[in-house]
Amino acid sequence: MKNIIVKANAGALTNFEVLDLLNSRGASKDTTRVIASETVSRSEYKVYDYLMETAASTQTRDSVTKFSDKCKGFKLAKAEILNIINLRPSSDVELTPILERPDEREIDIEGILALVQELLPPLPTLEAHKENEQEETEDGEQPNMETSV
Amino acid sequence: MFCLSELEDTVRVPPSDLNLPLEVAIKKALQKLFLDKVLSIGLCVAIYGIKSIEGGFVLPGDGAATYKVVFRIVVFRPFVGEVIAAKFKESDSNGLRLTLGFFEDVYVPAPLIPTPNRCEPDPYNRNQMRWVWKYGDDEFIIDDSCQQIKFRVENISYPPVPTERAEDAKPFAPMVVTGTIDDDGLGPVSWWEACAPISDDED
Repeated sequence: MKNIIVKANAGALTNFEVLDLLNSRGASKDTTRVIASETVSRSEYKVYDYLMETAASTQTRDSVTKFSDKCKGFKLAKAEILNIINLRPSSDVELTPILERPDEREIDIEGILALVQELLPPLPTLEAHKENEQEETEDGEQPNMETSV
Repeated sequence: MFCLSELEDTVRVPPSDLNLPLEVAIKKALQKLFLDKVLSIGLCVAIYGIKSIEGGFVLPGDGAATYKVVFRIVVFRPFVGEVIAAKFKESDSNGLRLTLGFFEDVYVPAPLIPTPNRCEPDPYNRNQMRWVWKYGDDEFIIDDSCQQIKFRVENISYPPVPTERAEDAKPFAPMVVTGTIDDDGLGPVSWWEACAPISDDED
């Protein structure tokens, strides 16, 4: 069967938009879903599971639109804005691999990070990670549970 | 990493589905045809929506109705230079293999792993090799314990379907993404959580 591609690229989608699409079809984190669901297929669920672990799972349409509007002042390429929304970098070292030749273009890294902090919701698993880090640290910091005695 | 693509195709709705509302039946047929398949534009992940349906003719000798449908699909096609978070899948002497759950053919070849490094047989898994990065006095192991590994896309290739294959060859991958973890902020996320304060001092 020959299929004709009318438009190979009819628009880029952020992870959030794809997650939104799957949510509107009825995807959920319920464990009985894979057997019961008629509207969301198994392979779509794999995408859903992946996206729920990324920044997209805590984002809202409002925050994503506001963020890309405000990004216009930072001289970023569309692909870079998309990448920032998808990854939600919270530090210099997380933002730099996304940008192409940041030094030559005089990009305001601090400004972008501040905007991310202000407009995009934090990552979903960040809290769980931080708790693990505290327990393993050698500085003698006590995990929260022990101090509440 | 996702984008929309518009396609036009001839879709056959089997007689058993003809009692369903037309859009539902066509969507079902489209899903069967395209979902989880690799086209020249990438991996088809979901049907976004149907734009137009034409036809509905029943061809002689066939009980099914044939429609000409214009529709949009969501395609996984990362762009070169994009940074993506993935999980560790396996590693061997050629390099690492990472997975995104729905897409498992992300390869980081040995030259794109930060140097100096070494490859050693994995003590926990006899068939695998393990990669270790040496930075200063510390050694960082790349294996299953890494929660998330960030890589940057270097290249996407669509190898042609092989006509002959050896018995024990890996399952054929129609779409292969090659990535690098050799840069600031790339590689296992845990490497950089500890490093963030150090980079501030250097500035």
